[in-house]
Amino acid sequence: MSKAIINSSMGEAQATILQSIREHLAESAACHAAIEEAKSAPTATEPSIEPDPAASADGHKNHAYHSAVEMFRERLEAVGGRCFVVRGEVEAARALKGIIAQLRATSLPAERIALSNAPLLVRLTREIVDVAEVTVAPSAAELFDYDVGLTTAQAAIAETGTLVLESDSESHRLVSLVPPVHIAIISAKDICLTIGDALKLVQRREVADMSRTITFITGPSRTADIELTLTVGVHGPRELYVIVNT
Amino acid sequence: MEHLTTETFAANARAALGNVQLRGALKNATGLFSRRRLEAARSLGNWEDLRSQARAIKDETLLHLDQYLEEFAANARRAGAQIHWARDATEANGIVCKLARERNARLVVKAKSMTTEEIHLNAALTAEGIEAVETDLGEYIIQLAGETPSHIIAPAIHKTKGQIAELFTTKLGVERTNDIAKLTSTARQVLRDKFAGADLGISGVNFGVAETGTILILENEGNIRLTTSLPKTHIALMGIEKVIPRFADLEVFLKLLPRSGTGQQLTTYQSLITGTKRQLNDEGPDELHIILLDNGRSRMLGHPVTRQSLACIRCGACLNACPVYQQIGGHAYGSVYAGPIGAVITPQLFGLAKSAELPYASSLCGACRDVCPVKINIPELLLHLRAEITQGSRQRAVGSRQESENNNQKPAKRARAERLAFKIWAAVMSSRRLYELSGSLFRVLQRFIVRGGKIGSIGVLPARLAPPLAAWTRTRDLRPIDKNTFRERWRNGLDKSSS
Repeated sequence: MSKAIINSSMGEAQATILQSIREHLAESAACHAAIEEAKSAPTATEPSIEPDPAASADGHKNHAYHSAVEMFRERLEAVGGRCFVVRGEVEAARALKGIIAQLRATSLPAERIALSNAPLLVRLTREIVDVAEVTVAPSAAELFDYDVGLTTAQAAIAETGTLVLESDSESHRLVSLVPPVHIAIISAKDICLTIGDALKLVQRREVADMSRTITFITGPSRTADIELTLTVGVHGPRELYVIVNT
Repeated sequence: MEHLTTETFAANARAALGNVQLRGALKNATGLFSRRRLEAARSLGNWEDLRSQARAIKDETLLHLDQYLEEFAANARRAGAQIHWARDATEANGIVCKLARERNARLVVKAKSMTTEEIHLNAALTAEGIEAVETDLGEYIIQLAGETPSHIIAPAIHKTKGQIAELFTTKLGVERTNDIAKLTSTARQVLRDKFAGADLGISGVNFGVAETGTILILENEGNIRLTTSLPKTHIALMGIEKVIPRFADLEVFLKLLPRSGTGQQLTTYQSLITGTKRQLNDEGPDELHIILLDNGRSRMLGHPVTRQSLACIRCGACLNACPVYQQIGGHAYGSVYAGPIGAVITPQLFGLAKSAELPYASSLCGACRDVCPVKINIPELLLHLRAEITQGSRQRAVGSRQESENNNQKPAKRARAERLAFKIWAAVMSSRRLYELSGSLFRVLQRFIVRGGKIGSIGVLPARLAPPLAAWTRTRDLRPIDKNTFRERWRNGLDKSSS
């Protein structure tokens, strides 16, 4: 905690800012009643957005989903990700091999594959080792030369098609980000329904127990900064594949 | 490019109106964002409830801002972050430059942050001999062009792909192409080298959670993840109004912000960062510095009307909805904060005297209030600021001493003229005799200035009103007074005279 020592000049700035906040709040308290009265009028007449008749409170269209997996898949594919639902590790390994073969059939290279340190990934890539160079947790500098990053995810959100990565469980911060293709493997039981559920899942009672970095990923990296034209893969991966193990 | 200032707003706006390409681009962008926003909002069954909840959370925070800030700082420190407090832009820039010097930093990568634009951090770093590179594609483009952002969400919407192609060819020496995917890929390649070699990463903050000391940053491109992951040191600049009480409160804002900004259900990436490394082999920077910036914000707490300015989550929805912004774009405002929210924040941050034109850059139609995800009553704020200007009240800007020396005459003069005009108006309107007399008088006088049934029709010189009334008719049509008054028509039977 020695890092947290504040030097005296910063202490002064802190004191000034907090004092300014307190003084101005006290100043505004005087005219509170008046403003509450004035504010109620415009908001009452304000037009409100009528929800789509098919919408429900949690943002899901009145669409019967058989499962969270199905909803996750639909939402992920709506934002340009690809989703494969498999049963068991053998099928997962086969799906992975299929994705690599497919990448090679298109223009994207898939010669060098970086894995995070999740033990499952080594097992799943046994069959690929013959066809590609597979490295566990390469350094940040090396990662720039990799074609594919392979990670697991600690959770997912069905309503948005989002992966949830917790840094304390796995070293996947860069593997999921730097290579042009990201493939993630998740377990169907880890899919939450809503953003709120996912937030509850990653929050810990003690601040020090929370993952240092929690990353939500929804689809491939995208931009529309040039003439509002959607372009994928601007800084992060241009392709995102998720294998859901049921 | 010369940088426009808030003082010359009227001239900036006139120039922008003459820029056909700009207006076409603005029409496309604001129209697209508005349509997408509406669709995304409607897809949620409880949009209005979410807005009320978000505003309630912001109100609660702002009323106890001192406590929540202290809680945030304590928890972020507990997780390993270092907290700095900056009263103004100079102090914030000083802290960043000092941190950079101590680490012998030569190259800084920057994630898009309006707050760093507000304090002109890039200029401060450049003055120290440090290269600061914007990594958001839009920001990178305008940095190469030496310009400033014209929209909160899409900083380079004012540029065509042809202009960007030209820029890349000139500045980066790449082969000219109008292919947007290729241009994007060029930026990716160039910026990867910068990420790999950067000593410092600087970002903004969308939300700071008091309960956990977590900062949340939203993006689509991945440059923020790279900026906050690769360099050894991460500095996050956070306005003091960005704090929210509880971790669970993030849900409401994660539903509102992307939908209001781009119409997405969720932006591609959210980074929730709580402190620094837990173990030695943890990925990511060794240090996290969070700078809490006041720069005129605490002053806005001084009145309930101005306080709501601090609820803003910088989504840009009010820009897209604003009939004024739709025509003139962001640069004309002469401030980093444009559009309706810019018209109320800029004068409060940098002083009313400097930006007295901005609160008038609105027809008070209320579209901004209707789309605001945190229900900021911007028209009410505009009127509040106009009243302050008209009353000639001492500008509240404490942090801008030098500008009180600048002449304050223009707004003061206008305020006097306005007061006089309204006094006359009140006198005329409250006396039947004066009202009827002035009506007859205008009916006689207007014969000289009515052309084609209008006063102030463009083209024929005498058809314009003389100053000061010309200020109104120069840009607007004014209907002449009818030949017969309502009372006369009533006496003669309405239908007879209506022909």
